[in-house]
Amino acid sequence: MPYITRPARQTDYRQFPSSTPIVIDNGSSTFRIGWAGESNPRISFRNLVQRPRHKSTGETVTIVGDADPTLMKYFDCTRSTLRSAFDSNVVYQFETMEYILDYGFERLGVDGYKVDHPVLITECALNPVQSRSKMAELLFETYGVPSVAFGVDAAFSYNYNQRLGICDKDGLAICAGFTTSHVMPFVAGEPVLESCCRTNVGGYHVTYYFKQLLSLKYPHHMNILSWEKAEELKREHCYLSQDYASEVQLFQTGDKTAEEKSILWQFPWVPPPVEAAPSAEEIARKAAIREKQGQRLRDMAAAKKSSKISELENELQGLEFLLQQLSGVEEADVPSFLSATGYVSKQEIESAIAKVTQSLRKAKGDQVELEEKAEPSNAEKYPLIDVPDSMLTQDQLKEKRRQLFLKTTSEGRQRAKQKRSEQELRREKKNQLDEEKRLENPELYLEQLNAKHKELSEKVEQRKRLKTNGSRPNGNQNQAGGVGRGERLNAAQKERMRLLTTAAFDRGKGEDTFGAREEDWQLYKLMSKGNDDDEDEQDEDEAELARITSRLQDIDPSFVAKMDAIPVQSATEVVPKFRPITKEDFQIVIGVERIRCPEILFQPSMVGIDQAGLDEMVGVSMRRLPTKGNGVEERITSSILMTGGSCLFPGMAERLEAGIRMIRPFQSPIRIVMASDPVLDAWRGASAYAAAPQFSVQTFTKEDYYEKGEDWLRKYQLRYSL
Amino acid sequence: MEAEVIESNILLPQHLNFKRVQVSEKYPKGQARGRHWKHLKQILQAENYQACSPDEPTYVNIETPPSKYPSKKFCDITGCEARYIDPRTNLRYANTDVFKHIRILPNEYVQRYLTLRNAAVVLK
Repeated sequence: MPYITRPARQTDYRQFPSSTPIVIDNGSSTFRIGWAGESNPRISFRNLVQRPRHKSTGETVTIVGDADPTLMKYFDCTRSTLRSAFDSNVVYQFETMEYILDYGFERLGVDGYKVDHPVLITECALNPVQSRSKMAELLFETYGVPSVAFGVDAAFSYNYNQRLGICDKDGLAICAGFTTSHVMPFVAGEPVLESCCRTNVGGYHVTYYFKQLLSLKYPHHMNILSWEKAEELKREHCYLSQDYASEVQLFQTGDKTAEEKSILWQFPWVPPPVEAAPSAEEIARKAAIREKQGQRLRDMAAAKKSSKISELENELQGLEFLLQQLSGVEEADVPSFLSATGYVSKQEIESAIAKVTQSLRKAKGDQVELEEKAEPSNAEKYPLIDVPDSMLTQDQLKEKRRQLFLKTTSEGRQRAKQKRSEQELRREKKNQLDEEKRLENPELYLEQLNAKHKELSEKVEQRKRLKTNGSRPNGNQNQAGGVGRGERLNAAQKERMRLLTTAAFDRGKGEDTFGAREEDWQLYKLMSKGNDDDEDEQDEDEAELARITSRLQDIDPSFVAKMDAIPVQSATEVVPKFRPITKEDFQIVIGVERIRCPEILFQPSMVGIDQAGLDEMVGVSMRRLPTKGNGVEERITSSILMTGGSCLFPGMAERLEAGIRMIRPFQSPIRIVMASDPVLDAWRGASAYAAAPQFSVQTFTKEDYYEKGEDWLRKYQLRYSL
Repeated sequence: MEAEVIESNILLPQHLNFKRVQVSEKYPKGQARGRHWKHLKQILQAENYQACSPDEPTYVNIETPPSKYPSKKFCDITGCEARYIDPRTNLRYANTDVFKHIRILPNEYVQRYLTLRNAAVVLK
């Protein structure tokens, strides 16, 4: 839709005498107002009103027609919608109508205390008298209009084209409007309203259908596709197909012609700012910062270390000094001397020295070789163990218990150490064996190794999966939505829960034979919590896997550990989720909609309106003609005029001709012509009509209206052929 | 009011000289007024068309009758001629691809497609 500029207020109102009629084409889509006799309306705007609230003052204001969207930011439009005075093609909201008329007259430059000009206003064919009388009342009472005339837009358009010589005295107007479509036959220049017919489908329905189809096709672009945009796209791209069924098939198979016919509409789209890769400088700067921080940490660690070392050295010196002093002290004085230092015996001091030296060495980074040091024999270390309890005091008993504990733990430690060294030895041996094998037959060895690696890694993986979620590998039936407690348990835990529940609910069911067999008691073992038998085995497997992997890495350059392979795969899976939004996401392909939407004018059943389409309407209308014969039908069909905005779809004339030819008898003359301007002709016809000298006879005044009453108004009809 | 708004002249003036009755007088502010208009349906009922002779043309009887041809069924999604109807959603569809599509379509969209051809279930 071309942007409608706010029409400027006309300044030449004073130049028109009060006898010059004002002509209004009150169409349901557009309101046009101008002076009789002129070729174009002065003002035209969309026949809509909105009453938003002004944000800063809170005042409700009235905006008629289209408004500059940039100005709408000052208004709160949440509670006001665009209102039309029309229900179908009949004016029913006269408050809205009044705003529209106000605006029309105001823009026309009307001043003085009333609108002192006769008014010719269009209405729909056979407008209900209630609407007509309300309109007349509004014009008489509110605006003080001296006289009013009502006419039908299609008739004015036909009349105008007849004067231009485009159509004949006898003919037919096909008026495809905004909310309705009419077919109106004319005999001797007068519309035959008895045989007129109306289908409630028009440009509005086409646009609505178009908009809805597109927003269903592209749900995320629903907001961008405004009514105005849909209207614009419709006018630009829709056309009538000559053979809808087969053309739609083309679109469905999606071959080249369909692609050519499809139209790509790019939404305004600004690519998101691309994050520039950090420059070399940036990288260097960051590295420098990191280096600096590392250095600081290293310095701190070094300082801490040196302070610890000096502390330990001081302690050592103190202890040695103490020992020296102790050697100088007499045997008898030892306890009293030691009581001051906090040590019990010389031995204790010595062990403290040993401890400090060790930690000093550790701090200095030397090898710790405490265990290697000549250990005192068990008898020396634990003197109380071999003494029977009866010979000991209470304190000594306690000491004995402590020593026993110490002994067992140290022995255990030693055993573990031994085991470790044995393992080491075994591994060494194995490696040696492997090496020999490899040297013997490198290829076979590699193959075997690979096979083993595969087997082991699968085993480990399997176990891991089982542990995290038992049911996953069997199929992903739980992928959709597992939220229960069972989801969180691993297979072993689940099995345990199952056993527990069966045990709990098994009680008292029939004869209790539990314990008859030896295996029954195994149940308790299975139920116990720490029931992870294969833990050790698993560890072994993992260790073996690690060994093989490292070995493979050593000898086979092409080897890729499976652990590395997995993340790569999953990365490709994840990528589509975070696919950046591109220009293509903001494109709308208008394919089949181009022909599907205008098609509803010919097949209203597509949108659930159970009425005949435009072509059939002609047949209906011809059937309804009151006077037949004398070649009237032939004369009528040889002068068919298309008017109204919806006739502008390309292919309309051909389609109509094909449709009408099917209805009319063989070889009947058919001539279809397009109005000189399907949109403006109604106003132009009305303007020319109002300018004619006999126009004043056709109007009625306020007095006429009140005197003659409603019944007269119902029968009121203009004579179009003056 | 912002200067920009006033300059653009988009607002309808509150008071118009040429009017005998201003809108503010006719519809006073703050006064609850009921619906002062009728829908087309009510207008037509009030017209009392039954009293007219059947030959007389009226707004109602000039309506086009339904087409004498059986209405063609079109696929709700693609617009092609539809041979099938999905019994679950009542959508018409042309082929298996469309069928797959409509089966994953959320109900809201199904209803909107049905509304387009005036076939949706309306709960009152």
